Amino acid sequence: MSRRASRRLRHQGLLLAALLAALLPGAGRAEELVLALSTREVAITSTYTGAEITVFGLIERDARTIARSGNYDVVANVQGPQGDVVVHRKGRFGPIWLTDQRRRYMRIPLFFSLLTARPLHEITDEAVRERLKLGLEYFLPDAARVSDAQGGSEFGFRNALLRLRREEGAVTQNERAVTMIRPNLFTATIQLPAKAPTGLYLVNISVLSEGVPLKTAQAGFVVRKVGFDAFVANAARNEAWAYALFSVAMAILLGWIANIAFRRD
Amino acid sequence: MQLYLPIAELPLNLFLLLGMGGAIGFISGLFGVGGGFLLTPLLIFVGVPAPVAVASSSVHIAASSVTGTLNYWRRGALDVKLGIVLVIGGLAGTLFGVLFFNQMRRLGHLDLVITLSYVTLLMSVGCLMFVESIGSMLSRRRAGKPVPLRQAGEHRWYERLPFPMRFHRSKMSTSVLPLLALGAVIGFIGTVLGIGGGFLVVPALIYFFRIPTSVVVGTSLFQIVATMLVATWLHATISQAVDLLLALTLVVGGVIGAQFGARTGQTLKGEQFRLLLALLILIVGVRFAFDIVGQPNDLYSISASEVER
Repeated sequence: MSRRASRRLRHQGLLLAALLAALLPGAGRAEELVLALSTREVAITSTYTGAEITVFGLIERDARTIARSGNYDVVANVQGPQGDVVVHRKGRFGPIWLTDQRRRYMRIPLFFSLLTARPLHEITDEAVRERLKLGLEYFLPDAARVSDAQGGSEFGFRNALLRLRREEGAVTQNERAVTMIRPNLFTATIQLPAKAPTGLYLVNISVLSEGVPLKTAQAGFVVRKVGFDAFVANAARNEAWAYALFSVAMAILLGWIANIAFRRD
Repeated sequence: MQLYLPIAELPLNLFLLLGMGGAIGFISGLFGVGGGFLLTPLLIFVGVPAPVAVASSSVHIAASSVTGTLNYWRRGALDVKLGIVLVIGGLAGTLFGVLFFNQMRRLGHLDLVITLSYVTLLMSVGCLMFVESIGSMLSRRRAGKPVPLRQAGEHRWYERLPFPMRFHRSKMSTSVLPLLALGAVIGFIGTVLGIGGGFLVVPALIYFFRIPTSVVVGTSLFQIVATMLVATWLHATISQAVDLLLALTLVVGGVIGAQFGARTGQTLKGEQFRLLLALLILIVGVRFAFDIVGQPNDLYSISASEVER
């Protein structure tokens, strides 16, 4: 833990230096946003139990930038790879309850996280939140297609999907994950759960001031299996026959070995 | 100690998996059942995706059954001939089961059919065995000696059908037809309900054919080995959901548990064995009934991608 912390500190130091170097006077323009990530790749090994990724950001401004009376607000939105999720709904058949309705939501983000320094509704009003899609309720993309729909109200299914994904930790909101180190320098900490899917993650950072969006920038990182885990996952997909043979052989061999090892007579 | 499982895509505690594999392996070796009907729900409960849980359990069941079978075989408590007849019947039943399954899926009543038949089957088999074994225990206490399930020379009508065959190990001669039919019914139910069917084979062989309990357990395990090796192969090649790391930890626990189970099984009296198996089946049935009777806490549930049966 302490090694991880010290590594993070070292990272932070290096990145701060880099960011300060970028603080050179620029042409007369609105704020610029410079981002850096503590890592570009999260490696899943046999001991993986989740990860923490830090986004470092600098809101660049110079003498000619419009003076602002309020502080900056930063909202980070992290979206993982897309996939299909099926929502089931139980219905009544006499005394028993069974799944009778389901909806399949196609290509929705399998990880969705919203990070701020204070509650969203204090940062900006509903119109801006809707336009910038700031809010957990926007985790379903407009283009999310629904198939296999069988009865039931769409509203109920969408609510249940959001609620259950939140309970699983696949959709999260953290109002303390963004730290303003200086009025124009911040970090945002992304907590990746152990069950986070592999693939490409996009980080969208929006800077606002007094409820007005000023600038948006993007960064990304990859979560992938490495070493033995990658080998097993690849073998299962690409060498299915060898994998099957190995599974069967393992069952027979270990069963046989146990029989010999525990032989008494 | 957490271990990340590459196909299930989540970390689980190594000792939890070893313990689960061991406990289910013990039950498998003791009763001659696969234990998939216990292990799969347990894995799903700790967070493993359903297809991975089903596929990886099949490796565990195969391995525990191999070690259990070898154990009973060395003691001469395995009727290979009977096992092969059951496997042949089972293949035919599996084929019909797959056809029926697809037909019912098209009609859309599969959930109801599966759930109702599962609960009904478990509860009725469990209750019948429970009553019988208690009665048998009471009459043993009264008579002072075990009451045999079979009277010498007695043959029921289905045992006198054409194509008779002698099974020396099982100490019986019967027509092959009812045995093939039994295998087919088990294969059919197993396919439709997604269970191995060992806990149906064992009571059927004990009550319908009155074969000695120890031979029944060994032979049932033999049949499960055949079924589960095929199942493992199909899961690994078709659904590609076998998690080798998960399977390995379960198997290591399972083969050790199965050894102790098989040894314990040898020390039980026939009616004690039947009573314990009845209780096991009833517990599973009651648990399953609780799932579907009464309004659930949450009407909604989610699963990744695959539409659940």
